[in-house]
Amino acid sequence: MSAKHMPSTKGPEVQADDKLGKITLFSFGIGIVSLIASGAIGQSHNDQWANFLHSYLTNFSYFLSIALGALFFVTLQHLTRAGWSVTLRRQAELICNALPILALLFLPNIITTLMGNHELYAWTNHALAKTDHMLHLKEPYLNIPFFAGRCAFYFLFWVCLARYFNKKSLEQDESGEVLNTLQMEKVSAPGMVVLALTISFAAVDLVMTLEFHWFSTIIGVYYFAGCFMSCLACLILGSKYLQSQGKIGEFINVEHYHDLGKLLFGFVFFWGYIGFSQYMLIWYASMPEGTQWYIVRKTGEWNYMVWFLILGHFFIPYVGLISRHAKRRTRILACWAVWLLFFHWVDHYFMVMPTMSSHGHALAGEIPFSILDLTCFLGIGGMFVGTIGYAMRGKKLIPIQDPRLKEALSYENF
Amino acid sequence: MTEDSNTKVYGLLAEYDTTAKLVKACEKVRDAGYTKWDSYAPFPVHGIDPAMGIKPTKLPWLIFGAGITGTCVALLMQWWMNAYDYEYLISGKPLWSLPANVPVGFELTVLFSALTAIFGCLAINMLPSFHHPLNRIKKFARATDDRFFIAIEAADPKYNPTASQALLRDTDPLSLEVCEDDRHIGAAIPKPLLAAGLCFFVAGFIPLAVIGKARVSHMENTRIHPNPNMDFQQKFKSQSENSLYADGRSMRSKIPGTVAVGEAQLDDHFFRGIVDDQWAATLPKQVVINQSLLANGQKQFNIHCSACHGETGDGNGMVNRRALSTGQSAWVPPTSLHQGYLRTQPHGQIFNTITNGIRNMMGYGHSVAVNDRWAIVAYIRALQRSQYAKVADLKKDKQSKFQ
Repeated sequence: MSAKHMPSTKGPEVQADDKLGKITLFSFGIGIVSLIASGAIGQSHNDQWANFLHSYLTNFSYFLSIALGALFFVTLQHLTRAGWSVTLRRQAELICNALPILALLFLPNIITTLMGNHELYAWTNHALAKTDHMLHLKEPYLNIPFFAGRCAFYFLFWVCLARYFNKKSLEQDESGEVLNTLQMEKVSAPGMVVLALTISFAAVDLVMTLEFHWFSTIIGVYYFAGCFMSCLACLILGSKYLQSQGKIGEFINVEHYHDLGKLLFGFVFFWGYIGFSQYMLIWYASMPEGTQWYIVRKTGEWNYMVWFLILGHFFIPYVGLISRHAKRRTRILACWAVWLLFFHWVDHYFMVMPTMSSHGHALAGEIPFSILDLTCFLGIGGMFVGTIGYAMRGKKLIPIQDPRLKEALSYENF
Repeated sequence: MTEDSNTKVYGLLAEYDTTAKLVKACEKVRDAGYTKWDSYAPFPVHGIDPAMGIKPTKLPWLIFGAGITGTCVALLMQWWMNAYDYEYLISGKPLWSLPANVPVGFELTVLFSALTAIFGCLAINMLPSFHHPLNRIKKFARATDDRFFIAIEAADPKYNPTASQALLRDTDPLSLEVCEDDRHIGAAIPKPLLAAGLCFFVAGFIPLAVIGKARVSHMENTRIHPNPNMDFQQKFKSQSENSLYADGRSMRSKIPGTVAVGEAQLDDHFFRGIVDDQWAATLPKQVVINQSLLANGQKQFNIHCSACHGETGDGNGMVNRRALSTGQSAWVPPTSLHQGYLRTQPHGQIFNTITNGIRNMMGYGHSVAVNDRWAIVAYIRALQRSQYAKVADLKKDKQSKFQ
């Protein structure tokens, strides 16, 4: 391959459209209608509210994981002073813009819990703590004020960090100031430490406490593995989409896709590695407070889902992505990205929904599929995509003044 | 080295000072259809692979195959070691269980792949190579510093002294020269090198021979003590000799005329199961039959007795089953507790058997407390009753079914 020439940094191809696009409006529309529908279905019947809460949390944690993956991606690139990824970074920064709306969308869960509903988080039931010694011991951590405070802190921190990177990066588009890059690098180091801790604790609070007897010290890493993997899949699809719209044509080439593919492949394996590590320790120790989580998930129909997940989230994409050819053919890579985003959703469904049966809101061994799964997905997904589209208006899609842009453009895999 | 009269030619060497020139020259040589040639640069040059027309390496396939081999070897090894050759039960898991085998499977997959990657890379590149004809050319040393080279081998079917020189001259090299081939194909390996190699080869069998010998022989000597501090400690063990005391023993005997705390066991009924020189037919007054006593009896029985007598007391415990399955010829099976004479034996005699043992059975007085022994007696009575229940023992409404 010959040396690449520098694509033009001016002109329409690096600039998003100034007005709200059709997709943005459509997403907001779908999102609002679906959220209202979900709420209505949830309230329609006595049993439906628990189902709504679980479906809602499944889809909420799904979209949250993508946004957190994007925030991690941005922080990581600054922390490592990466050159290859500069042309991809703006997309991740734009995905981070969904964090404030996600903070708002978390309110239904928090408010329901604060209002004394125990259907989602059974540990909020004070009466249980009187008879359940283990819950009693966990009360210093598992109490509603502390829980709400922690969640507020997580979202506050994430939104602030995302805002900071967005602001500094967009400023640089105009000024070309190298200092901005240096400042972002400085913030990224402590930012990464706090981000790692908040993601881990958020995974504990959102997912692990659903079954409050359960211990898994690796759940944070498990959640994070999915975060980063889904963000990479989104970056692949986002780049494909923008290029199909005639944007950022030469800024993202096969070398960048190849690298995203390599990371995607790596994190497919990482997810499997962490998932198995969690399973094996619990399987070996065979302690009731550990095994109960898996017993519920290996009962009846859920057992099929286990294998569906292991094959679809690990073995099949692992074999599919192992070859260099699969990573350099962007259509194939995009197919795998869609595949993995689907199985990432299955993974969240598998983490959250079985809790319904362990709390008696669904029959054991029965997968409680319902229309709520779809409406919640469309609702939160619509708001998620709409917000990103809204934040994109008039922004440049490439940080064209980044001092490492040249490095990214001449980047090549051996 | 003696000069060969008909000097062979290794090939042509062209020197360049920029990567751009090198890449352009490579494209020319590639297009001319040469197959035995190479380019040399101090660092990886972008785009050199397509410029030279190098096909994608086969190494990934080798690594993939090695990885799968590693997984299979690991699984087979663990099955053979843990489930076949030496059955080894761990944590009550199945002898061969996949979750337990995954970590080793993972490690061997990585190990096999990594070693194949390294050695496969060396082998495909024909490394290590101790000598190369190009190394005789002084300026070629700059291939590791700041110059770029192309060498076309004379062995190439397209090679032609004049045409090939003209081709390379066209690429504007800094210099172009003919390189002699000083390799003596088929020359004898130097004797000292051969001898050393032979020694290493033979020495390689020593560990195998030692292992082989150890498997068929017994050691007469005591073992080597690498760390004597741990093996020979400055202390007196219970049965050992001790020069400090007049009687030369480490253990001290009781002082005459004294009774240790808790050893004044005057109650014959409770401590020995004897009343008026007869085996006691009743339980001592310290033992009160209730649910918790029987639960304790069951627990103690299952801990101490069931290994031989079985959990139901039928004499077919795990030890018996194991002995029968391995065909122990001198095996005396444990007694079934449901035999007639045992059902009529007084409580005290059973207590005595537990305490002091009988025939092959050892005594458990030293390890099972007196209360627990009586609890076992009570539980044995319950077990015996369970096998010879009368209709009258049933509840009134159930009795009719048997009449």
